[in-house]
Amino acid sequence: MSEVLLTALRLSVDLAGRTALDGVALTVSAGEVVAVVGANGAGKTTLLRACAGLLPEATGDLILGGVDPRQTAPEKLARLRAYAPQHPTSAWDYTLAELGTLASSADEFRYWQERFGLGELTARKLSELSGGERKVAHLSLAFSALGDAYGKVLLLDEPTTALDLCRAELVGRAIHASAQAGAAVLVCTHDLAWARTCERVLVLSEGRLVSDGPPSTALTAELVRATWGVA
Amino acid sequence: MKCHVGTLALAALLLALLALAALACGSAGFGWGTNGELLMLRLPRVLAALAAGLALGLGGANQQGVFRNPLADPGLTGVFGGALLGIALLLAGATEFTWNHRWALPTAAFGGALATSAVLVWLGRGRSTTKLLLTGLGLNAFTAAGTLLIAARFPEARDILINGAAGDWLGTATLELAWLPILGCVLAALLLLTQASALDRLALGEDMAFCLGTDVAQTRRQGVLLTALAAAAAICLVGQVAFIGLLAPHLARALVGPRHRAMLPFAGLLGAGLLLLADTLGRSLWPQTPISAAAMTALLGAPAFVWIASRRHE
Repeated sequence: MSEVLLTALRLSVDLAGRTALDGVALTVSAGEVVAVVGANGAGKTTLLRACAGLLPEATGDLILGGVDPRQTAPEKLARLRAYAPQHPTSAWDYTLAELGTLASSADEFRYWQERFGLGELTARKLSELSGGERKVAHLSLAFSALGDAYGKVLLLDEPTTALDLCRAELVGRAIHASAQAGAAVLVCTHDLAWARTCERVLVLSEGRLVSDGPPSTALTAELVRATWGVA
Repeated sequence: MKCHVGTLALAALLLALLALAALACGSAGFGWGTNGELLMLRLPRVLAALAAGLALGLGGANQQGVFRNPLADPGLTGVFGGALLGIALLLAGATEFTWNHRWALPTAAFGGALATSAVLVWLGRGRSTTKLLLTGLGLNAFTAAGTLLIAARFPEARDILINGAAGDWLGTATLELAWLPILGCVLAALLLLTQASALDRLALGEDMAFCLGTDVAQTRRQGVLLTALAAAAAICLVGQVAFIGLLAPHLARALVGPRHRAMLPFAGLLGAGLLLLADTLGRSLWPQTPISAAAMTALLGAPAFVWIASRRHE
C-alpha cells in the first residue's frame, strides 16, 4: 500500500455566494495519477486550488504531505507540492532563461525545458512564444519545483489544453513518469481518452463528486452521458 | 544569466559625474566658488534630489511589481497626494509645532501616505489591478483637493503648500532640514531592494507566486509600507513629483530586462539621475526664472515615456 499524500474530507468552497465545491472526499497516493473530469463549471479548478492551499476559506479536512495547506507557510508548502494553473500569465515579458530563474532550481527548469522541446528557445521572450509553448514553459516551472518528485504532490489544471498532439504526449508521459518516481498527481482534464490512462478518475458535477474509481468503472458510458449530456 | 555589474558600475559613475556637474551649475554661474562656498550651498539640494529620485524610482518599481501593472506609480495611486495632505493637515493644525520639531513634517507625510495606501488597499480589495489604479486616481484627486482647500483656508501655509503641490521644494533644502528625509529615502530604498525575488514571482500571478513559496500578503504589506515611506520621505524633499516612479522602472526594464533582481538597482539610479538632471536643468537653463523639478521632469519624461510606451510589446 503506497503512502497517501493528499486527503480531503467534506471539502467545500463557497465562491461569491455560490457553492463551487460541496463535500468532496478524495485521496491520492504516491505513485498514482488521478484525473479530475467534469463539465465546465463543475468545480475542477476550485478543487485543485483548494488542494494547493490557495483557498484558505475552504471548509472540511485537508491534508497534503502531512500538513493542512491552508495553515502552512508558503515556503514550506512549496517544498511539498507543485501547481500549474490553467491560464498561466506573466505581467512582464520574461525570456525563458529569466523565467527559469524564478524556479526553485534553474537546472531542473532547463531539464524540463529541454524535455518539453523548448531547448532552442532559451533567449526568446514569452510574448514571442506560441500559446502552447508558453503553456509548457509554465509547466516546466511546476515540474522543476517537484525536484526528485518522490513524496511530492503535483496539481495540474488542464495541462494539455492548447498543446499540439506531440507536446500533449510529452506532457502526458511526464505526468506518469512523475508518479512512477513517487509523486501523487491530481490532474484536471477534458481529455477523457487520456483520463482513461490514469490509475483513477474522479468525476465532478456541480461541485459534487459523483464517481471515483478506476477508469473502467468510474467513467462508464452512462455517466459520460449524464455528466456531459452526450453519447 | 547575464551579469549587469559592469553596467551598474557605469551607471553609478555617470550619476557621480552628473552630481559633480550639478554641484557646479547654478544661477551664480559655472564653478564651485573660490572657497567652495557655492559647492556647500548646492550640496544639500543635490543630495536631496539624489535621495528623493532613488526612493521614487524604487517606489515606482515596487508599485508596478505589486500591482503587476506598468502604469502604477505613487503619483497616480494617491500615495503622494496623501503624503502632501498629511503635511497640509499638520501645517494647518500646528504650524509652530511643525517648525520646532524636525521629525514632525516627515512623520505627517508618512502618516498621510500610509493612510491613503490603506484606504486604497481597503477600497480595492478583491478587485482587479485596473480597478485598484482607478481607485488610486480618485484618491489622488481627492487628496489634492483637500490640500488645496487647506491652502486656501490657511494663508500662512498657502505658499509652502502650493509650492509643494508644484514639486518646487528642492530649492529650500538645507542639510539641517533635509538629513532626516534623506535618511528615510535611503532606508526605504535599501529595504525596497530586498523585495526583488518576491516581485519577480508575483509577476506570474498571486496563485503562482504563492505556489512557488512567496508570501503574497506579506509582499503586498511590505510594498505598501515601504512605498509609503519612500514617497513620504521624497515628498518632504521635493514636493509632488509624479513622473520619476513611472519612468525610471520603464527605462530600467528597457536596459536590463524585467527581472527585479537586475532591474531594481537601475530603477533607483535612473530615478536619482532623472530627478537630479531635471532639477539642475530647471535651475540652470533660465537662472532668473527657474523651473520646478516636477515641471522639468514631466517636460523631459513625458516624451520619453510616450516613446517607450509606443514600442512596448503588449
